[in-house]
Amino acid sequence: MVCKAEQTELNRLESQVDNGGGGAWEYLNLIRKLKVRRSDDVVKYGSPILNDPKKRSALGDDEWTLYEQVAVAAMDCQRLDIAKDCVKALQKKFPESRRVGRLQALLLEAKGLWEEADKAYSNLLEDNPLDQVIHKRRVAIAKAQGDNLKAIESLNKYLEIFMADHDAWRELAENYVSLQMYKQAAFCYEELLLSQPTVPLHHLAYGDVLYTLGGLENLQTAKKYYASTIDLTKGTNTRALYGICLCASAINQLSKGRNKDDKDELHSLAATVLENEYKRTAPKKLALLSASLKSFKLA
Amino acid sequence: MAEDLVLDTAIRDWVLIPLSVVMVLIGILRYFVSKLMNSPPSPDSKIVKEGQVVIRARNLKQAANFIPAKAFRTRRVYFCNEENGLLHVPKGQAQNAQAQMFSDPNMAMDMMKKNLSMIIPQGCFTKIPFPLTQRFRGMLQNGIDLSTVDVSYVSSRSWYFLNLFGLRGLFSLILGEENAMDDTQKMMQMGGFGMDPSRSLGAEKDNLDILQHNWALNKFEQRAEAVLRKLVE
Repeated sequence: MVCKAEQTELNRLESQVDNGGGGAWEYLNLIRKLKVRRSDDVVKYGSPILNDPKKRSALGDDEWTLYEQVAVAAMDCQRLDIAKDCVKALQKKFPESRRVGRLQALLLEAKGLWEEADKAYSNLLEDNPLDQVIHKRRVAIAKAQGDNLKAIESLNKYLEIFMADHDAWRELAENYVSLQMYKQAAFCYEELLLSQPTVPLHHLAYGDVLYTLGGLENLQTAKKYYASTIDLTKGTNTRALYGICLCASAINQLSKGRNKDDKDELHSLAATVLENEYKRTAPKKLALLSASLKSFKLA
Repeated sequence: MAEDLVLDTAIRDWVLIPLSVVMVLIGILRYFVSKLMNSPPSPDSKIVKEGQVVIRARNLKQAANFIPAKAFRTRRVYFCNEENGLLHVPKGQAQNAQAQMFSDPNMAMDMMKKNLSMIIPQGCFTKIPFPLTQRFRGMLQNGIDLSTVDVSYVSSRSWYFLNLFGLRGLFSLILGEENAMDDTQKMMQMGGFGMDPSRSLGAEKDNLDILQHNWALNKFEQRAEAVLRKLVE
């Protein structure tokens, strides 16, 4: 995730390049360093550099890194002709390279030739059984074919070895959620919480899953995680505010008549903040909000 | 007893300066040779897995208070279970790693190279321009057994060691960041490397066994309340 200073730098460079002010190379470098997905820009500004032999030779050895970057970006934009040219140039320069092999398999993937791509990746894996990127590409192939179960299976196998890869855990969690396997998704989110405890997104997602699982204990836990999200985001996260209201009303429903010593203040505070937020940003929907909040309080 | 020793300028010209120059050159040479000889590390999948297990166990220890108690307990059992827990290392495996380390040809060659460059003639040949206390005697006059010689006179062996550690900075300038005096690092690594994986697994297991879970989320609810209250006002 990109921090604020880098984000502003990126935007500044983008506007500078957009207005024809040069600095395309720095912009592309920053995109590559931050691993931001701006494929349109990369293709738009990268191809003229590559097509102009003078500018290309001015880059020196970085030329090949640029080829790789533009190739991947072109595949992302489905500009397969550009991608093929870049990969061909790289292949000529580095004939036996594993990195170029990966790009070629990626090109097969982009064309939709799943079987060939999978075979290519398996071949590459024989020489380098511990290449993380290749493993992840195979999962992506399974997912692109719509075979979520196979994707989950491959991800699990990947995570047996590389269990500290939090991006993989996140992908697995989202897969489980899409298949409504919430208990397993909760486990994955716990892993994420362990590796990055201060990222509010994980608290929020975990709260969501717990709320969906239902049951009094899960609801109370979910409420706590929504609260921690609010704390980490200083009350700006609308979804967490909603989450608190929903949890409180669901808990009330489940424990009807039983101990009502729950701190209701959090719930009403959240409702007030929500109303203020809506008044400020979406006043037309305020009526909708008030109606739903009223129904929560009644329930 | 503090007469000035008269030092032959020939010693200065032929020992001091060439020693430093040769050390710099040897360092650069060693760097390039290691780059040529170095095949990209082909790590065993088992070693990678162990490394990742350690990271995961460490995460668990550090952030244990962020997940519910039941989840923590499940994970602790998963890691520390006596029979098939991830961190449990049967005794036989510990020996294996050490034997592997000694048979690694790279390290043997490096040890030889280091011994070669250790052979340096002894003698007293330079004087540090500033006065020093007696305590530095052990550091600077390694090999000279005269206690009357002023501490400012440095022996060549000590000069070699001074260079060894001092040129680290110079190397990092010339050779870029990766190879600032690889040797000392390797020496430190070699001591701990053989036993490292199994020992760190055992250490993590002990850490987890001791850990008391104290769920932090309760506090968070109160803090959220405070935050929201401030927002409302």
